[in-house]
Amino acid sequence: MTSDSLTTTFAALADPTRRAILARLVSGGASVTELAEPFDMSLPAISKHLKVLERAGLIARGREAQWRPCRLEVGPLKNVADWVEGYRRFWEESFDRLDDYLRELKTKEKKHGPKQRKH
Amino acid sequence: MAQSNASTRAAAKGVGMEVAFTRVFDAPRRLVFKVWTDPKHVAQWWGPHGFTNPRCELDARTGGAIRIDMRGPDGRTYPMTGTYQEIVEPERLVFTSVALDKAGNPLFEVLNTVTFADHGGKTTLTLQARVVKATAMAPQYLQGMEVGWTQSLERLDAYLAKAFRGEKS
Repeated sequence: MTSDSLTTTFAALADPTRRAILARLVSGGASVTELAEPFDMSLPAISKHLKVLERAGLIARGREAQWRPCRLEVGPLKNVADWVEGYRRFWEESFDRLDDYLRELKTKEKKHGPKQRKH
Repeated sequence: MAQSNASTRAAAKGVGMEVAFTRVFDAPRRLVFKVWTDPKHVAQWWGPHGFTNPRCELDARTGGAIRIDMRGPDGRTYPMTGTYQEIVEPERLVFTSVALDKAGNPLFEVLNTVTFADHGGKTTLTLQARVVKATAMAPQYLQGMEVGWTQSLERLDAYLAKAFRGEKS
């Protein structure tokens, strides 16, 4: 995967319609018409979204049938999930430490009184 | 409305997917905001368990620079830079954070929006992170951090100390 493709993946995932399309594809491949069904959108609009997803490597489209079924490609999604999980852990642990630190500050303040006036 | 202007600006700057984290802290909003913007305080809690911040420079004003070098329990340094985009004391903080590799190249860039909501002496903190850029090495970078602390005995010490303290109170 090139450097930029993960950025492209994140950009593709920024749109709620595209995320909904991916969620639908988790349960199996589908045609453009089937994918368009739950949305109040024209087929060309849905096709545009599919193109973005395809460029980002998030879906692949069959060549075999005329209706070119779409299916999910999990590789790039895994990279995104790994990143999100890592970032979540970073902040959860930072928040744990922040929580401890705030408790420490409050205990100190109670014992010795505030060091300086708040302004 | 100031807030909607700010979020429009933030949305325009970042193009990527957004993730959000929320935590309630048992401390007044002014104090939580202060420990987020004063480098002396930030150095005490920034980063995963077992990490220290030998370099922590924050110029907490709009356009001001952020430079933090985290050191993992394995001795590895994780440098990070950033810029404050918006500061509304004590309720809102918008900043970019850019994690760098050894050669100083950006691995990922995130636009972070932190809001501090006051709830009768407690503070609900929400961090929204919008990924602006991420290289293929970005997930490995974050995984490296975990390897750092899981191997560390310091973590076990900290855990035991915390558990012991919790038992006493």
